[in-house]
Amino acid sequence: MLSQNVIRELTRIAGEENISTSKEDLICYSYDATNQKFLPDAVVFPKNVDEISLIIQMANREGFPVVPRGAGSGFSGGSLPVEGGVVVSLERMNKILKIDADNLIAVVEPGVVTGEFQWEVERLGLFYPPDPSSLKFCTIGGNAAECAGGPRAVKYGVTKDYVLGLEVVLPTGEIINTGAQTLKGVVGYDLTKLMVGSEGTLGIVTKIVLKLLPLPEATKTMLAVFSDIRDAATVASKIISSKIIPSTLEFMDKSSISCVDDYASMGLPADIEAVLLIEVDGDRDLIEKQAALIQKICRDNGAKEVRIAGDKKEVKKLWQVRRAISPALAKLKPNKINEDIVVPRSKIPDAIIGVRMVAEKYNLINANFGHAGDGNIHVNIMIDKTNTDELRRAEKAVKEIFELVLGLGGTISGEHGIGISKMPYIGMELSHTAIDVMKKIKQVLDPKGILNPGKIFPHTQLTSCNSNLQV
Amino acid sequence: MKDLKQFSDEINKCVLCGTCRGVCPTFGVINREPASARGKAALCGAYLNKEIELSDVFIKQMNECVQCMACKTACPNDVNVPDIILSARAEIAKEKGLPFVKSFILGNILDSARLMPATMKFASKLQGFLFKDVPEESGLHRRFPLPLIDERRLVPPLAERFFLEVRSQKPAPAGNKHGSEARSQENSSQFTVHSSRPRIGFFAGCLINYMLPSIGEASLKVLESAGASVIVPLDQHCCGMPALGSGDIETAKSLALKNLEAFEQYELDYITTACATCSDGLKRRFKELLYDEGEDVRKRVERFSSKVRDITELLINELRITNYELRILNPKSEIRNPKSIVTYHDPCHLRRGQGIADEPRELIEMSGAKLKEMSHPCRCCGLGGSFNITNYDFSMEINRNKAEDIKNTGADIVATACPGCMIQIKDGLHQLGADTKVVHVVELLADNTNRQ
Repeated sequence: MLSQNVIRELTRIAGEENISTSKEDLICYSYDATNQKFLPDAVVFPKNVDEISLIIQMANREGFPVVPRGAGSGFSGGSLPVEGGVVVSLERMNKILKIDADNLIAVVEPGVVTGEFQWEVERLGLFYPPDPSSLKFCTIGGNAAECAGGPRAVKYGVTKDYVLGLEVVLPTGEIINTGAQTLKGVVGYDLTKLMVGSEGTLGIVTKIVLKLLPLPEATKTMLAVFSDIRDAATVASKIISSKIIPSTLEFMDKSSISCVDDYASMGLPADIEAVLLIEVDGDRDLIEKQAALIQKICRDNGAKEVRIAGDKKEVKKLWQVRRAISPALAKLKPNKINEDIVVPRSKIPDAIIGVRMVAEKYNLINANFGHAGDGNIHVNIMIDKTNTDELRRAEKAVKEIFELVLGLGGTISGEHGIGISKMPYIGMELSHTAIDVMKKIKQVLDPKGILNPGKIFPHTQLTSCNSNLQV
Repeated sequence: MKDLKQFSDEINKCVLCGTCRGVCPTFGVINREPASARGKAALCGAYLNKEIELSDVFIKQMNECVQCMACKTACPNDVNVPDIILSARAEIAKEKGLPFVKSFILGNILDSARLMPATMKFASKLQGFLFKDVPEESGLHRRFPLPLIDERRLVPPLAERFFLEVRSQKPAPAGNKHGSEARSQENSSQFTVHSSRPRIGFFAGCLINYMLPSIGEASLKVLESAGASVIVPLDQHCCGMPALGSGDIETAKSLALKNLEAFEQYELDYITTACATCSDGLKRRFKELLYDEGEDVRKRVERFSSKVRDITELLINELRITNYELRILNPKSEIRNPKSIVTYHDPCHLRRGQGIADEPRELIEMSGAKLKEMSHPCRCCGLGGSFNITNYDFSMEINRNKAEDIKNTGADIVATACPGCMIQIKDGLHQLGADTKVVHVVELLADNTNRQ
């Protein structure tokens, strides 16, 4: 609980309209896309870096947690106030400060919606590739905190590959600038890379300098349909080993795609087991050549059908189906254990078949989809959390899937982050020493442990107010 | 009508993914989570779990929704947040009562066949005194403070003669009567009667009746030229959607029943209206409202609703209007400036409520105009029924994007299929200083746009 004094002081910093302790508002800032709820004690809407600095200084003095939050669309609980305290909503800091077409950079505030930023730069013939499925509503600040990826990562990389510099409020309240507004920069340690993906535990990002690319001349979108899931996985590996890097190479199994309403109207053959959504972009002549080669690889390796999207409308529809999958899975079972594994690309068939076998062994409903092109598969185990037996089986299955992934030389999270949902498993991938180094970094930057506590490193007992699944 | 408790499973379908944040127009203006559909669903869930009460904050959140249904359309799990909010409003009205002015208007005036026209007539006579003309505009600005109407609001004048009033002075021609209709002859105005033609009942709706009767007249002309026999029952009422939107279920039910009675007196093939909100209400909401009124009423409302078509879909899909028929209607249409460019705004209750998008566009092209799409044709205009009256600034802020989208097309005319959207868009364009003409699609067909 926060004292009246603290509330008064927060009100003085942010203004009366920009702080709330009403139960209604607290409820609205208690959740994210993990579908778990933890009530904060207050929510504050700062408008600039100085206000955030003052809030954090006070948190250090008074000892309350501060949790930064963008759109609340994360999948690992990064923005959940698991220990209460003050949610710092960055919704008001949503301005694009600069788009510099001469130097191919942009400077944005953290609350800018990723898709809106992309639309703005594309109007100028520029390109910001990171495209998480939530791009129409997630924020760039959240993307930077979690190092979000997306389908285009196979060719263009993830958020960290585009962040050149940051303005950050440290957990002690000081404001620093990291990186530079230039493409190169090796002055001192790379604090930019340290901050990106730190899940709001090492600082609150208040300004982001982003690298832009020229917008590719054209794109071509294809849909390859398979009646054997192994063939689809094999084709995904083969395209890469044939030295073609498509701009996206998405895998969707039957259980995933059938959850989306629009799927029915796509007129796909009834006996499909998996589809690949493949896009190539760049110079017009080049993409024609690449598309022809990809179609050949698909056909030679068991694709029943390869379709080419005719117009923008068709492309939009294909992507709508793809982006709707994750939330639509709730149609299979009410609760989702949402994993985010990555394996080396040659191991995609082993991973997909292996995951299936684990799910079958424990008699669980499993839907897999994701960015096969970069080896990142979203493994979903669908359960009813009130069924304790099912929950127990699911926990065992998750552990076995992670063992499988690590055995194939992969990692347990590609783009969602650890947050609270993968916290218990971090030790499976990282050594004690590596975890210790990370904890020491956290200790140095945040000696009082006020910034987004209870995340990444398992040390606290969680008590979700709707006692949701903790896996 | 389902109450909030019965929406419990619907609320639990929400997985809190946040997709609605990308499309919700009230969230787009406020940019804070409680304004989003996700936030509102979470609040309704919390109320049902007894975590919160019907507090002022809760009531404010439930009122800040324009019922555009963009969230429902975008939702990967089809969560019907607009209806969850409507049932929350009904819960609020039931537990807390409606604000006095609102309840008086809805319960006493709107619900009465005599009082409503009488009140409006009084207002029509009074308006010259209350409002002043805006130069070169067909709208009005108010002179004095009036309850519910914002000072900057540009309102269309109340018509000197209401649509149904004009119709009542054109009684049905003798002959061609069907059984029970003989009795109710005095209660209807039959525009044309041909026994072999499809028989259409025309529902005017308040905005067309009291403010924009030219849309009603244009509708009758176009329907006739498309080969229909049109009947206008004179004892029709408000469709009740403003009452439903305010949580006043009883008034909405009563109006639905009265309208049912007004139209049941005639043998009709179809019932149509040129207001997207009315057609959505007649088609979809009447059934929900009267669901619990017994087997007999349920059958009657099923029969009624199955005949309802928005005028745009009726003309294209049922009457199959042709260019030839339009040329007969507008013999001089070749003199229309062939360069006139029309852009189209999709009313929420037409596009998302009824899934009608192609038909109005086909009609625009049939009229001879060149259709140029604006960048977000189905973005809400921000009217949201009485939302616009209670939250004027907010409503106009939502409208600003719409007005700019329209202006950016460079079109001479913006056409739509809802008189509510027309009033809102006209106000928005006026505030933006754009002189784009605002018309209803049927006016474009009847070519009487010069009359407004």
